[in-house]
Amino acid sequence: MNALSALRSLAYPALRAEAPLKSGEAGALKNIPFSELETLSPGIFPLEQSRAGGSSFENTIKSFIGEVAGKQAAAGEAVTGLLAGKNVSLHQAMIGMEEASISFQLMVEVRNKMLESYQELMRMQV
Amino acid sequence: MIDGLFNQTSYVAAKRLLDVTALRQEAIASNIANVETPNYKRMDVAPAFAAELKQAIESKDPTRLASLQPQLATDGSAIAQRKDGNTVDLESELMRMNQNFLEHQLETQLISGSMLKLRLAITGRS
Amino acid sequence: MINILTGIDSTSAALNAERIRMDVVSQNIANVNTTRGPDGRPYQRQQVVFESVLKDQLQAGGGSGSEPQLVQIARVESANRPPRMSYQPGHPDANASGMVAMPDISIHEEMIDLMSASRAYEANLAVVKNARSMAMQTLSIGKR
Repeated sequence: MNALSALRSLAYPALRAEAPLKSGEAGALKNIPFSELETLSPGIFPLEQSRAGGSSFENTIKSFIGEVAGKQAAAGEAVTGLLAGKNVSLHQAMIGMEEASISFQLMVEVRNKMLESYQELMRMQV
Repeated sequence: MIDGLFNQTSYVAAKRLLDVTALRQEAIASNIANVETPNYKRMDVAPAFAAELKQAIESKDPTRLASLQPQLATDGSAIAQRKDGNTVDLESELMRMNQNFLEHQLETQLISGSMLKLRLAITGRS
Repeated sequence: MINILTGIDSTSAALNAERIRMDVVSQNIANVNTTRGPDGRPYQRQQVVFESVLKDQLQAGGGSGSEPQLVQIARVESANRPPRMSYQPGHPDANASGMVAMPDISIHEEMIDLMSASRAYEANLAVVKNARSMAMQTLSIGKR
């Protein structure tokens, strides 16, 4: 099984149980089940482990988005407090707005990078 | 995760010091406004708070810094220059106001600098 | 009003109070020779009494410390000084012995009051300018 096929099996989990190559092809290629691949070179497919662990990456992303939303909400409150003449000082509102903007920009860049990597992965030829 | 972005000691310390300069400006405005009021005692940022802030900065603990609340107090060390008990010395108040303005400028520059560095790190463009 | 300029309440109250004081001083100077006021007696020197009151709202740092105080004119009162007698026999208000009751107003004293009121007024203007510069700097946080 060459490296590109291994990557393709990552992208299409349904294919993990079966080998993507036809058995009639030239070379000494055999249908190697996924479980045996794991024993051959352990650690090639870490995604399997994290998937078993309860999709921690998904949780990370969720909490990240929650924090960014929290920052935006706090900044909005500071600004409305300032405009309503309450006890908020000008610099608190300005700093709150800038921090919210920076956090949001970080989230947008992370999203862009994730999208880019996904598209690059999809573009790979098999 | 977002909190990690804004957790450096110098950044949090600059934010607290900015609160202090805003409060001190209020105190100086009150002092200069009451320069002719009989028996008025000048006020400033509480010296106990100033000492606490200095310790917190030296301890390099961002959470400790973030929890401080600056306060005003009557300046016990000011002596009455005039017979009517008023302790305000106009020239020294104006000097303190100038000093306060420059401290404020320093803190806004520190904060803006940190923010622009973060933006540069996030987007790769300034 | 939006809380942009710090300490603006104290300063505007002080500007108002000093201006009233200057008005009173100029009234005294104008009446330095008034021997007969509306009540028939010589003009009485007016003086202002300052007092400081606490602001209504708590400041941003929490209410346990001291609060900035606003200054205001408590009252404008007569100094109740006895009139100065001066010898002017030809004056319409002269009494039997030729003495006229003049207001006990000294121009030098009034000028000194005027100068200190003026100095306080200018100091408060400097405070407003400073507060404005600080606010402009704050508004440019995070901008290039």
